[in-house]
Order: sequence, then structure tokens, then C-alpha cells
Amino acid sequence: MDIIKRRRDRMEMIFDILNIIRNHHNSIKPTPLLRHSNLSSQSFSEYFNELLEKGFIKEITDENGRKFLTLTDKGFKYLEKYKLILGFIEEFEL
Amino acid sequence: MPPYHLIDPTRMLVELSYTIIVVFICFSIYYKTREIYDLTKYEGIKYFRITFLFFGLAFLFRFISVFVMLMGMTFDINISRYLFRIFPLVFNGYFSTMGILSLTYSMIWKELQIKHMLIVSNAIALLISGIAFFSRDPSLLIVAQAVLLIFTIIMAIYFYSRSRKISQLYILYVLFFLFWLVNQLALGPRRFIPFEIQTAFQLISIAVIGIICLKVSKWT
Repeated sequence: MDIIKRRRDRMEMIFDILNIIRNHHNSIKPTPLLRHSNLSSQSFSEYFNELLEKGFIKEITDENGRKFLTLTDKGFKYLEKYKLILGFIEEFEL
Repeated sequence: MPPYHLIDPTRMLVELSYTIIVVFICFSIYYKTREIYDLTKYEGIKYFRITFLFFGLAFLFRFISVFVMLMGMTFDINISRYLFRIFPLVFNGYFSTMGILSLTYSMIWKELQIKHMLIVSNAIALLISGIAFFSRDPSLLIVAQAVLLIFTIIMAIYFYSRSRKISQLYILYVLFFLFWLVNQLALGPRRFIPFEIQTAFQLISIAVIGIICLKVSKWT
């Protein structure tokens, strides 16, 4: 049961990270995101890379060379569908 | 003299309508769950949705088997008979076994966590379709899948005893598998079940899979 709990937590964690970015007007630097997410640097790094790889977030650099993170359409879609996804998993006991 | 039919038109119409409806519902479930799977890559959703892809294909090949069987003496040449009768049976066996295993695994993956489940289920499905290929007999395929059905029922009872709540979902799944097996009886050398009763089973099975589709639509 630990594995399923971890997976659930993982989905929830992804939701939380994406939600933090959305609540910061869809633009946040990596360091404040790490702080708000309450994760260890190592865990954050894993989630960060996963979210980039899966195309939920993207990095943009402004004219001063500062990096910001923003949600992609897929990231917004995940936030929008999160409750439905949890409902589906509950309904079909998956 | 009445016109001579190679195919019983009533039965063919019922089989064709049944296949179109069931395949449409199966592929709808597969399509409707695509987005939530793409977003999450959640293991349970993966096995749940491929179940309906496999069953959709299995129903298609089942129809081809029934169609060829109803064609009766149209295929007089041995090679054609072999090609047109055995291969649909083999594909039917393969896809339906994959479907049964996928749906069962979607229920129990949290407990079992089998590595390379797709390889394991492919091996079992190939074994069962191999039995159909070498025996050229649908009865053995039905027996092999009945064993899988018993396994599913045991799993359902096991989880029922653990969770101590009646799961309508497991009952639906077991009914779905049971009706699949009843449908497979149509491929047997002799008619085990009268056509009218089989049609009644087909109507109930459409209702069962329709309920599953409605439940999916609620969340997708």
C-alpha cells in the first residue's frame, strides 16, 4: 500500500507545485518555488525535472537573464482536470 | 421455392448490430480516458483503458469468426477455411485474454506490483491463442478463459473480504467477463445456447458495458 500512497502523493505534489506557479500569476523563480513547495532540494529537483520533461512547465529567461517558470497548456489542463482524475480513480478503484 | 441463404440473415443482423454497438462503446471508453492517462501516466488508468481497446478488437475478431462460421460452405478450399476460421479465432483469443488480464490487473496492481506486466500478460495471451491455433477448437479457448474468469472472481472475493464493502464495480466486471464467455460459446461446433437466449445475454452485456461507459463519461 506504500507504493500506491506514494503515487497518490506524487500526483498531489505535482498538483501543489503547479498550483503554486498558477497562484504567482504563472511566473515564479525556481528558488521561491522550492521554498513554497516545502520539499527538500533533492525531491524538488526530481519533481522539477519531471515536470519539465513531461511538458507541464517551461523555463523562460527575461532580458536580464533571470529564469522564470511558467505553466504550459498541459500544466493548466492538469490543474483543471485534477479533481476529475481523482474522482475517476476513486470510482473505478484503480 | 424460397430463396436459398448461405447466411442466416436474422442471426447475422443481430451479431453485426451487437458487434457495432459493443465495439463502439469499448473504443469510446478507450478514447475518453486518453487525456487523463496522458496527464498522469497512472498505472491503474493505463490497464483500465487498454482493457477496452483489447476487448474492442476481440469483439471485432469474434464477429469475423461468427461471420465465417455462418458462411458455412462458402469456403470450400481447405487453405481458405484455415485462414478465415483459425486466424480470427487466434486473434480473438489473444485480444480477449489481454483484455481480461488487463482489467484484472487494473484492480489488483496496487497489491501485486508485477514488473513487466505487459510482457507477462502477452506471454499468457500468446499461450492461450496458441492453444486455439494448434487445437483449432474454440472449446479449449473457452475453457482457458473460464479459468481466467475464476481467477478474477477469486480476486473479487478476496478484495471484497478485505474492504468489507460490496463493490458494484467488481460485479460489473465479473458480469462483463461472464457475458464474454457466453458470447464465445457461439463459436463452438454446436450451439450450446439457443439463439434467443444468447441474444438476451447480448442485450444484458450491452447494458453492463454501457453502465461502465456512463461511469467513465461522468469523470472525463
